[in-house]
Amino acid sequence: MSLIRWNPVRGLATWPSDLFGMQREMNRMFDNYFHGTDLSEDASLAAWSPAVDITEQDNEYIVKVELPGVNKDDVKITLESNILTIRGEKKQEKETKKENYHRVERSYGSFQRSFNLPTSVKSDKIDAAYNDGILTVSLPKAEEAKPKQIEVKVK
Amino acid sequence: MLNGKNVGIIRTGSSALMKRPEELEMAFAPDADIYETEEAFVVKLDMPGAQKDSLNLLLESKRLIIRGEVSGQFQEQGRILYCEILKKKYYREFNLGNGIQMEKIVAQFDGGVLTVTLPKNEEVKSREIHIL
Repeated sequence: MSLIRWNPVRGLATWPSDLFGMQREMNRMFDNYFHGTDLSEDASLAAWSPAVDITEQDNEYIVKVELPGVNKDDVKITLESNILTIRGEKKQEKETKKENYHRVERSYGSFQRSFNLPTSVKSDKIDAAYNDGILTVSLPKAEEAKPKQIEVKVK
Repeated sequence: MLNGKNVGIIRTGSSALMKRPEELEMAFAPDADIYETEEAFVVKLDMPGAQKDSLNLLLESKRLIIRGEVSGQFQEQGRILYCEILKKKYYREFNLGNGIQMEKIVAQFDGGVLTVTLPKNEEVKSREIHIL
């Protein structure tokens, strides 16, 4: 069984063209509420969940993750049987004692997101960059997964 | 570790979004931490994807207004398989109390985090009082 993380934004993004999809999400939300959420160990450990964008181009997938204030050495990207996992930790700056805080709204702690990629990718050619709080991972498609034009001769 | 339960399924085919909905471009209040040191109040705001040039800090009497725009991030090509990052404009206001040296406020943007340092006035800094 695979659990799709419920995301209010994703529901909004497709509204109103995907009204029934939203209804499905609502049903799922209620199901989870009444039957107990089926959280795996990893998910319950994660303190927050950064927003992710994935786009597909002819030759590659581009994954973008909002990770403001995260040290890039604290981020780990792994690919295991075509499942891309981005995990890491956002650490609170240790420059002041806790009692001096007036307000804490930013999220801290460990996070993890995993995605099943639709096609295979060149695992040795995966590239990642961190800029202005956005992690961008590019995953070039494997040769056999690239779109090909096949000429069909009509007899 | 990977038991398949926590794996997001990428929607493909007809259910995939072809275009990021433009109407979702909205004002977004960035999350802020505020703490106090001996010398200053410090405000840290998470503003991932904001362009440094688009950041704008305005001091209007005792209101500090912070604006920032996310652009460029969304000029990508291709099919959108997963869409959680909103096309947004950052906007947040803070009311400043007395005891801040308004003319000495400084800001710095690093790793998607805007840090605004508001130095305290001499009269509000804590000091030891000598007993005569």
